[in-house]
Amino acid sequence: MPSTSLALTPGLSSFLKSLKSNPIDTSIENLISLLKRRQICHSRASATATAYLLRSVVSLCRTSESSKLIERVQSVGRRLMAAQPREMVVGNIVRRVLGLIRDEAEDDREAEFALSESESQPQTPRAFDDASLPLDRDSLALGSERSTRPPLTSMFSLLSHPEPEASLPSTPGSQSPGGHNNFTKDLRAEVLEGINEIIDELGQVDEQISNYALEHIHSNEIILTHTSSTTVQKFLLRAATKRKFTVIHAESYPNNHEVTHATVSGNRGDDDDLLSFESFQKPLIAHGITVILIPDSAVFALMSRVNKVILGTHSVLANGGLVAAAGTRVIARAAKVHQTPVVVVSGVYKLSPVYPFDFDSLIEYGDASKVLPYEDGDLVEQIDVQNPLYDYVPAELVDLYITNLGGHAPSYLYRIVSDHYRKEDISF
Amino acid sequence: MGPKQKGGGSKSRGNATEEVEETLQAVFLVEQVLADTFETRFEPFTLDKPRCLLPLANTPLIEYTLEFLANAGVEDVFLYAGAHSDQLERYINASKWKASSSPFKQLSFLKSVSSSVGEVMRDLDSKHLITGDFLVVSGDVISNLPIEAALTKHRARREADKNAIMTMVLREAGRNHRTKSTSISPVFVIDPTKDRCLHYEEIDHHSEESHARLNIDAEILLTHAELDIRQDLIDCSIDICTPDVLGLWSDSFDYQSPRKHYLFGVLKDYELNGKTIHTHIIKDAYAGRVRNLKAYDSISKDIISRWTYPLCPDTNLLPGHTYDLRKGSLYQEQGVFLARSCVIGRRTVIGRGTSIGDRTTVHSTTLGRNCKIGRNVKLEGAYIWDNVVVGDGSDIRGAIIADGVVIGKNCTVQAGALLSYNVKIADSVNVSSGKRISKSKRDGSSAPTEVDVVGEGGEGYEFIQGEDEDDDPDDVSVASSGLVYRMPGLSLSSASISTLSSELSEGSWGRSARSSFSDSAERDDNFNADATGSVLESLREGVSADVVQLELVSLRMTANASDTQVRRAIVTSFMQYIEELMAKGKGASQAIHQVFSQYTEVVDRTLFDRNKDDKKDQVDLLLQLQQDLISREKGDTVLLFTAKELYELELVDEEAYEQWWNDERSSESEEMKKVRGQAQQFVQWLADAEEEESSEEEEEESDEE
Repeated sequence: MPSTSLALTPGLSSFLKSLKSNPIDTSIENLISLLKRRQICHSRASATATAYLLRSVVSLCRTSESSKLIERVQSVGRRLMAAQPREMVVGNIVRRVLGLIRDEAEDDREAEFALSESESQPQTPRAFDDASLPLDRDSLALGSERSTRPPLTSMFSLLSHPEPEASLPSTPGSQSPGGHNNFTKDLRAEVLEGINEIIDELGQVDEQISNYALEHIHSNEIILTHTSSTTVQKFLLRAATKRKFTVIHAESYPNNHEVTHATVSGNRGDDDDLLSFESFQKPLIAHGITVILIPDSAVFALMSRVNKVILGTHSVLANGGLVAAAGTRVIARAAKVHQTPVVVVSGVYKLSPVYPFDFDSLIEYGDASKVLPYEDGDLVEQIDVQNPLYDYVPAELVDLYITNLGGHAPSYLYRIVSDHYRKEDISF
Repeated sequence: MGPKQKGGGSKSRGNATEEVEETLQAVFLVEQVLADTFETRFEPFTLDKPRCLLPLANTPLIEYTLEFLANAGVEDVFLYAGAHSDQLERYINASKWKASSSPFKQLSFLKSVSSSVGEVMRDLDSKHLITGDFLVVSGDVISNLPIEAALTKHRARREADKNAIMTMVLREAGRNHRTKSTSISPVFVIDPTKDRCLHYEEIDHHSEESHARLNIDAEILLTHAELDIRQDLIDCSIDICTPDVLGLWSDSFDYQSPRKHYLFGVLKDYELNGKTIHTHIIKDAYAGRVRNLKAYDSISKDIISRWTYPLCPDTNLLPGHTYDLRKGSLYQEQGVFLARSCVIGRRTVIGRGTSIGDRTTVHSTTLGRNCKIGRNVKLEGAYIWDNVVVGDGSDIRGAIIADGVVIGKNCTVQAGALLSYNVKIADSVNVSSGKRISKSKRDGSSAPTEVDVVGEGGEGYEFIQGEDEDDDPDDVSVASSGLVYRMPGLSLSSASISTLSSELSEGSWGRSARSSFSDSAERDDNFNADATGSVLESLREGVSADVVQLELVSLRMTANASDTQVRRAIVTSFMQYIEELMAKGKGASQAIHQVFSQYTEVVDRTLFDRNKDDKKDQVDLLLQLQQDLISREKGDTVLLFTAKELYELELVDEEAYEQWWNDERSSESEEMKKVRGQAQQFVQWLADAEEEESSEEEEEESDEE
């Protein structure tokens, strides 16, 4: 019975299921309303849903030009971002997909240049991959240019092709229409593969981050953490396999305390699908780690004993600032006062190229009844209750970011941003 | 959408029959009661627009409810609409809910002329649209409640016991709460061990009897170890029902409202039908109903202070909305023009294209789109819809200003005033507290302007509410200023039972309802209709007297009917049958003889005064006959022959005829006199015979026997 009822409420899993059967416009509207209704919340779920949706958008977009594909993805992306502007990972995923399309378009153009220069072997290999959608790198990459390129397409390639779209239509004029079509098909296939990589990344990100755990957590340290972030838990669990340390867990009342309690005690009931499909491992206490659960208000008092603060986050901004669960800023500030290092663990997908000019607008306000029970009629009448879900933590309070690419100082984030997002996509 | 596929595909664990019911259906009662006092609570606005399209924090009410249903994973929605259904239909057809991307598989719009929830339910039952469990929601519910917990429990209960037919979702609230109605409080008596509702009653705080009473059956007290008697629950009228619920509605055709009649009735008749109704009490989600203006005010506040999260203005439920939350619960759409020196306070919503002039202060106010607010205006606690113009220096507090209203310069609109669509208020007019000004009348025509109300050059007249609400005078006076005072809110429909008798009189047995000597019309009618119908049926089929008798007795027992009622039923049915026979060409005497001789026993069993001097029962029988025959063809002839027949069958004694003839009731009206005209000779003859008899002493007695 409980599983039946779970299936009833729309959410990430139901969305992913319906994605295959529904027409694409329905799926887009569906995701928009799910985001609006907060039935898909949390960074991971939003990112996954967005990536899957864009994959179907790209695979169903029967266009012959990369510029049209970009336009299509942009228009879908705009609507998704407007639906829930505070869920910044949605924008991140859209930008990465856009970046992918641009990169592939450029690659193709280069390959085409190579082709037109060396008109040696014209049509024969192409007849094959016309039928097979999954890309055949080798058959296409006749010009060795592609393989010699550095795998990391970074700012350098950006500079070398200042106007990728403008020059695109002019080049393939000499090609036969069949050959042209061939390229775009490959373009789509390449992009799809890129999106699949993003989806894989989303699935593996916690594992990858936790690989760095042993470098950062040492024996007999006292670690303070906050909220029930899965990333943080996995990070600590990895360290717990080798080392003994103590964890102080702030409960993050009122928005996340129940899940936090469940995380600490290991009694994860039937949670939201985000966590259940991860088949969460045993809690820290089962590994012999001492876990102390404290109210958020006790953070400052205990900070003098803490060796390291490890925090999860909702998203990371381009300047290194964080939008994280409410209460994070207090902890970061307390750590600053006590000169305790603050480590933020976050997947690269949470890293947003948005610069926070007005960080008040990034903070979402949640359900007031979590703070004050609604049944208390007299107080409800007379009191204004605010329940912010997030805090803005300025970059100077954070000492180190650990992403799936490794550890970075806040000042280095700009570089990761420019590696992952194209300049022209930052504000589209 | 997904859920159903999952139900059907991946989880077919052998209970295939159950899987069919995975689709959650919802019946959505919009404007459920046409003639309900409910509607009039939002007058004069509801004269032009259906209630569920009125904006609540700049979003039509119905959006919130549909959003709730989508949230709950409902797939089929049946919308029942009453007043202004064409407007509603147009709105729905244009909305995203009808688009291909709608979360609902089916959104059916059912028009109905029904005037109560009861009729809607019966209509629904007759259409056989409902296949499994379904939700019944009224068109003004605002809720962010995840329904699955309640649904799971409901299903588990139903699995265990087929008779658990309904689960009501109730929100716990304290003793005083702004969204609770204050005039009537529903009281639930609940068995907390099983979450079963045992008794329901509404306590009217404004009733004449000062002492509110709760009548709990002693049986309930004796059989349950633990009882919760709760008055602190907000009834948000979200019910999870099994199809059996509809059946019960159909069985009891006099139920009008889902709580006052249906719930009360089903719980009371537990012994009879064995159905149980359960409660699901929620503590941590929002649920409320916009049932009156007071609730409109408080729920608006709840939405703006984010108690209803995520159903808040900045969620932008409607496509095209671009609300954005700023500090201090200030929701502002893009494209708002604010003068540099204006002051925007807390808890304010401002729609696109609205401009606010210099030195204007706005507090706790909802402003729609394209409003023009002048300079030095004070707005506090007001609800201003779209396209409103407010002149310089005006002061508006706690009022509702509908679309297209123009307010002149230096006006004062006091708390609780309601200005309906397109009203124009001239300069320097004071609209006093609680006044309702409208342009259109109840019948849809536009009314003449009352200059003393809206000033020179204004448009509109003072709308006096409640011509039809004389039954609740106290309510009207308070309701008119609903926004300021604690306005009593009638919970759900208070549709009167009086419609019942009219409903019956349309039936073929209605004539008897007019009988002057019935005191408690409804209950009698009920029995009368049943009994008459069944007896007539038996007569037509020619069933034996014993069977008819047995049937009558059982009917009498269940309805606890009096002998008079039984007699009336017999008379009505016999006369009807006789009429039918006569219509087929039989002579009156022949027909009467046939019927009465065959069913002597039946009539005999209703007369208990054979050995008394005062022949009350027999007189009553004759009176009933007389009454019934007034409206029938050849009534006087039939009465004569019947009287003779009854005499010959020794059912009625001579004394009874005499008493009947002298009874003033038998000659109280012209019709009565007319119908007994022919019987006069018979009575005369009887009287003569008696005299003869007395003169001839005992000799003739054996003959007479």
